[in-house]
Amino acid sequence: MSTYIPSMDAPVEEPALYGLLAEFHDPQSLMNAANVLRKAGYYRWDCYTPFPVHGLDKVMGQRPSILPVVVFTVAALGCIGMLALAWYCNAFDYPIVVSGKPYWGLGPHMFLAFPVTVLASVTTTFYATFIFCKLPIFRHPLFTSERFRRATDDGFFIAVEARDAKFDLKVTSELLNSAGALAVEEVRD
Amino acid sequence: MTTIEIPQTRLETGYDNTAEDCINREPLITGEATYHAVTKIVCATPEARRAPKIWYVCFTISLMLLCVLFLTIAYQVFTGVGVWGNNSPNAWGFDIINFVFWVGIAHAGTMISAILLMFRQRWRTGINRFAEATTVFSVLCAGIYPAIHVGRPWFAYWLLPYPNIMGDWPNFYSPLLWDALAVGTYSTFSFLFWYFGMVPDLATLRDRAKTRTRHTLYGIFSLGWRGSARHWKIYDRGMIIMGGLACALVMAVSSTVSTDFAVSQLPGWHETIFPPYFTVGAIFSGFATVIALAIPARHLFGLKDLITERHMDNLGKLMLVLSSIVLYIYLIEFFMAYYSGNIYERFAYYNREFGPYWWMGWAMMFCNGVVPQALWFKKARITWWLSLPIALLALFGMWTERFSIIVTSIHRDFLPSSWHMYSPTIIDIGMFAGSFGLFFTLFLLFCRFLPMVAMSEVKSILPQSHTHLPEDCKDAQ
Repeated sequence: MSTYIPSMDAPVEEPALYGLLAEFHDPQSLMNAANVLRKAGYYRWDCYTPFPVHGLDKVMGQRPSILPVVVFTVAALGCIGMLALAWYCNAFDYPIVVSGKPYWGLGPHMFLAFPVTVLASVTTTFYATFIFCKLPIFRHPLFTSERFRRATDDGFFIAVEARDAKFDLKVTSELLNSAGALAVEEVRD
Repeated sequence: MTTIEIPQTRLETGYDNTAEDCINREPLITGEATYHAVTKIVCATPEARRAPKIWYVCFTISLMLLCVLFLTIAYQVFTGVGVWGNNSPNAWGFDIINFVFWVGIAHAGTMISAILLMFRQRWRTGINRFAEATTVFSVLCAGIYPAIHVGRPWFAYWLLPYPNIMGDWPNFYSPLLWDALAVGTYSTFSFLFWYFGMVPDLATLRDRAKTRTRHTLYGIFSLGWRGSARHWKIYDRGMIIMGGLACALVMAVSSTVSTDFAVSQLPGWHETIFPPYFTVGAIFSGFATVIALAIPARHLFGLKDLITERHMDNLGKLMLVLSSIVLYIYLIEFFMAYYSGNIYERFAYYNREFGPYWWMGWAMMFCNGVVPQALWFKKARITWWLSLPIALLALFGMWTERFSIIVTSIHRDFLPSSWHMYSPTIIDIGMFAGSFGLFFTLFLLFCRFLPMVAMSEVKSILPQSHTHLPEDCKDAQ
C-alpha cells in the first residue's frame, strides 16, 4: 500500500477561486455585456479579446493612460541632455575650432538631439507599456482555463475577479448569463 | 426583399480585389474571413513540421553566404582595410555603397508600419510585419559596414563621448557621428517596434502550442500577454506613439546619412537636395524589396488571402510614385549642374553619364526612372512575373545609384594627376554577397518560426470587428 496520506500539518487546500470566466460570441455582444457589468457596479473585472476592440475602454470606464506624459517627459530630458552634452564637450570642457565653425550651434546639434530624443521615447514607450500592463507575468490563473486559450485566437471573454466587493458566485454568474454569455466557468488559481 | 449584390468582377476573377469602387468597397481579406481562419493561415507555417523544400534550399545557400561574410570580415579585421579595393582618391568604395544600399532597404518597413498607420491605411495590416522584418534585418546588414570600416573595430567605442585619458571629446559637428547615432537609433527602434507589434501574435502561437518546448519559448517571448482590454488600450497608445516617432525618424535617418556626403565640398555630393533625395531613394528601394519578398512568400506560404492582389496593387502604385520622384530628382541634379555655371559641378555630372562609369549612370536612370513607369499599368502591378523583375531591377538600380554617387564623384578629383579608377576586390564582393547571406538567413528563420502577418491587426479590420457603443454608455467614464 503506498497511498499518499497528507499529514495533518500540511492540509490540502482547494485552490482559491480566482473568479468567473464568461465567453461571448462576438465583439459587439462582449461590449454590451461589459456595459451591463459596469452599470452593475463591478470594479475588478476585465475583457479579453484577440485584437483591440475600439470603444471597449469607454464602455469599461477605463481612464486614459498616462503613457504619453511619461514618454514626453523622458523625450524632453533626452533632447535637453544631448544638447547639454554637446555643449559641455565641444564648447565648455575642451573648446576646439573645427573648420572655423562656432563652438556651439543649435542647427548641427539638432542632428544629435533628434535621434537621442527618439531613442529615449521609443525605449520608454516599450518598457513603460509593459510595466503599466504589469507584464511580463508568466503565471496567471486564467492560463489554467482550457477555454481561455482561445482569447488570442477567436474568443471574446470577460473575467470577473472573486475579490471584487460585489462578487457573488451565483449572482454574478446569472448576471453574465443574462448578459448573453455563451458559457460561464469558475477559474481557480 | 432585397439581396446584396456582389460586384461581378470579384466573382469572375477569384482573388482579384483590386477594383476601385467607392460604393462597394472590395474586402481587404479574401477567402474565408473569420478570426479563426486568419489564425490558421498565419500559424500554419510556424506550426508545420516541415517547411517547403525550397525553404531548405534557400536556407542552405544563405548559410553558405553567411559563412563567406564571417570569413571575409575575419580576414579583413586580421589583415587591415587594405584588403579592399579602396585607394586614393577613392577613399570610399563598396563599404559605403553597401551601407547606404542596406540602410535604404530598411526604410520600407517603417514607412509601411508608421506612415501608413498615421494615414489610417488599413491595407497595411497584411504586410507590415513582413516589411518590418526586412527593416530589422537590413539595418543589421548596414550596421556591419561602418563597424568594420573604422579599421580597428575594437576601438569603435572611441565614437562615444566618454571621459578619457586624453581629456578630449568627439567632434559633434562631424556628420559621421550624426550618422552613427541616427543608424544606431534606427536599428534599436526598428527592432523594438517589430517585437512590440509581435507580442500578441506570439501569445497566439503560445496558446496553440502542442509541445512543451514551443509553449515555453513562445511563452517567454510573448511576456504573458493575455489580450486584456486594459492592456490593449495602453498597448494601442504605445503603438501610436511609436508610429508617430517613426514617421519623423524614417525621414531623418537617410537625411542624416546624406549629410555624410552633402557636408563635404565635393562636386556631386555638395548639394542641398541630398536629404530628400536619399530618403525617397531609400523608401523606393525598400518598397522594391517588400514586393520582391512578398511575391514568393505569399505563393510559398499560402498567404494569398491575407496579402491579396490589392496589396500588391497598392505597393506597385506607391513604388510608381517614388520612382517618379526619384527620376525628377535625377533630372533636377543635371539641371542644377548646368544652371550653376560651375565647371567642376558640370564636369561631375557630365562624367557621371559619359565618363568611364557611364554604364552605371545609365543603369541607374533606366532601372529606377524608366522601368518602373510600367507600373502605370494595372497588369504590371498585379502580375507577379512582371512586378518581380521590375522590383529586382529597381533594387539593382538603387545599388548602381549609390555607386554612381560615391565612386563617380570621387574618382575624378580636382587635380587630374590624382585621378584613379575604382574596382572592388574579391573580398569586397565576398562581403557584399555575404551580407545577403545574413539578410536571408534571418529572413528565412523569421518566415519559418514567427508569425509573418500581424494577426491581431488583420483581425481588427475584418468587417465583423466593427462595433458600436451601447446607447447608455455615451456619458460613461
